Amino acid sequence: MRSRRLIVPALLALTLAAGACGSSSSSSATSTTAATTTAPPVTTVSGPGGLLDPTADVQSATVTANGAGANSIQPFFQKAFYVYNQANPKLTVQYAPTGSSVGITDIEQGTVDFGDSEIPMAAADLAKATKGAILQVPVDLGGVALSYNLGSSGPKSLNLDGPTLAGILLGTVTTWNDPAIAALNSGVTLPSEPIVAVHRADSSGPGYDLDQYLIDTAPTWAAKVGTKASKTWPEATVGVGEQLNTGVATTISQTAGAIGFVEYGYAKQAGFTNASLKNAAGTFVAPSEASIASAGSQATGLSATSFNIVNGAGAQTYPLANFSWTLLYQEQSNQDLGIALGKLFDWVTTTGQGQAAALGYAPLPANAVTLAHQTLEELQTSTGQPLFSH
Amino acid sequence: MAGVREALDRRRGRPGGRLAGAVRWVGAGLFVAVVLALVWSLLAGAEPAFARDGLRFLWGGSLDRTGTAYGAGPFVVGTLLTTAVALLLAVPVGIGTAAMLSELAPRWLAGPLSILVDLIAAVPSIVVGLFGLLVLSPLFGRDVGPFLKELPLLGRLFGGTLEGGSSVLLAGVILAVMILPTMVALTRTAFAGVARADREAALALGATRWQVVRGAVIPGARSGIRAAFTLSVGRAVGEAIAVALVIGNRPAVPHSLLAPGATLGSYVVTQFSEAAQGLPRARIVGLVVVLLVLTALVNGAGALLLRKRTTAGGTP
Repeated sequence: MRSRRLIVPALLALTLAAGACGSSSSSSATSTTAATTTAPPVTTVSGPGGLLDPTADVQSATVTANGAGANSIQPFFQKAFYVYNQANPKLTVQYAPTGSSVGITDIEQGTVDFGDSEIPMAAADLAKATKGAILQVPVDLGGVALSYNLGSSGPKSLNLDGPTLAGILLGTVTTWNDPAIAALNSGVTLPSEPIVAVHRADSSGPGYDLDQYLIDTAPTWAAKVGTKASKTWPEATVGVGEQLNTGVATTISQTAGAIGFVEYGYAKQAGFTNASLKNAAGTFVAPSEASIASAGSQATGLSATSFNIVNGAGAQTYPLANFSWTLLYQEQSNQDLGIALGKLFDWVTTTGQGQAAALGYAPLPANAVTLAHQTLEELQTSTGQPLFSH
Repeated sequence: MAGVREALDRRRGRPGGRLAGAVRWVGAGLFVAVVLALVWSLLAGAEPAFARDGLRFLWGGSLDRTGTAYGAGPFVVGTLLTTAVALLLAVPVGIGTAAMLSELAPRWLAGPLSILVDLIAAVPSIVVGLFGLLVLSPLFGRDVGPFLKELPLLGRLFGGTLEGGSSVLLAGVILAVMILPTMVALTRTAFAGVARADREAALALGATRWQVVRGAVIPGARSGIRAAFTLSVGRAVGEAIAVALVIGNRPAVPHSLLAPGATLGSYVVTQFSEAAQGLPRARIVGLVVVLLVLTALVNGAGALLLRKRTTAGGTP
């Protein structure tokens, strides 16, 4: 089932990457420099690898770790795992980006060594775990872009607020020159073509973020779909539904007049133009590494139960952002694999964050790094002994 | 030769003959057992869904946010519409192409063309699906859709606002592309198997080439055409991945052929892996049961239709 599901996104990713090559080659130089200047706050605290002691608790055998879950984190994971494997050939990581919900089910059933979800597991999900307690580690900070395709002659920037966006996604705002859109974009020439709204056909973290933002800002949306955000897209009978970020991105790039939500990393890779959203402070902000980082810095009391940073405070804050959470069993029956996973995600949440900015993610803020470190220290052997000496 | 020896073996009651007979019975029994096990496990898996919604599950609307209403209705409609579009396009073109290849075209052209058709029949459906998504979808959104809407009378089938290229119509076209080679290859083989005497008899009666095809070849190849039809319908009704790429995945009854929709197969393939244990999973399995029944019904109806048509047209 999984391998068949993966064929499609993989092929789509290929075609997208091929399509984006021409347009993004000029911007790649600037993004590389951005990566070096916005290095993560914590790089060498107690060793080159991360916060855990690199000399103690060394894995003895070569292992392979299998993971599955969020599609949104895939570009970052792919790069990070590759870089890590270059320096640490004793660990090979295979990650299947089948979606957050699949990641949660797979870790519950114990069919993977780690899962990943854009939204942390709720208590009801944790109770279904078959191999004991699950630890949730924040591993990246990403945003959700509202990308649109109005051709090369279309507006290069576009302001949208919650009520207008809700109108588009509920099917009441149907053309690009609708008065509601025009009122937010004075001086911008809007075409009269119909709007094609694209959403996720599978459940998704980006869908959850947008649902939460619209619940917070658009009364019409809340009245229609209720006030509890969900990963399943609530208004599936309007617009077009596609599988995973790659499917949505392909349809946006193929369809004149389309607008849809994708993880910012994918939008950046595809070279999309993205709408600026009205944030809680009342300013219109476009998604960028800086505006997503600003959203992350609002998460002062971050934990797996207090994770929501949608529509956060701050004039420069982009309203659609979330942390991605890696899911690990606290008890690791294979000690080598447990040590390898602990050190891997220790690196991913510290030094590995240096890979984030170039790919359209923001480096984790210091409190998220601390939370990740503290959570990884809770890893245990099958006999309940701590896996890492402190 | 082998058949004769087996018959002799059996008559003499030698162990080799008995063994061969036993193997055949076991093989047939296994096949039936596998089919029964499949049906039983599907029914068992879908039981909670039918227990909760009863027969309403068959035609109800799709899932709403609170999970109160759920049914296969929109997906059954989507499946029937895409299959109908595919068959309307593929059956006449398929039979015509087969007739051209086996009866009308000169040999130097028919040979290479037949090989080409067989090759296309082997193209995986995902490739056809991607062709639809990357090549046909923009074309449909930009040119084909607006053109169809302007057609007199027929334009009503293509009403509503145009929402890009992803649509029930495009899914039907993709399915037609997918089943066409099967139609052509099997029908052509059936045509080739029609006795030469039948053709010569028709020619002797003064029939033209086309009259020979219509009066002698097509009726003679009836069972082969039915097999081609059955296989094509099966593929069109059940195809999931390629359809999911181009249909727009909207779990609602499409208001026009240019609107997005969903079929039983495409909805199952997009939702199965993340459907939680319990009722959500049972509902997805329930859709598979509906798909199974629908395939049988469509096949039966098609076979019936085809039998009437060919006997009526075939009686001299």
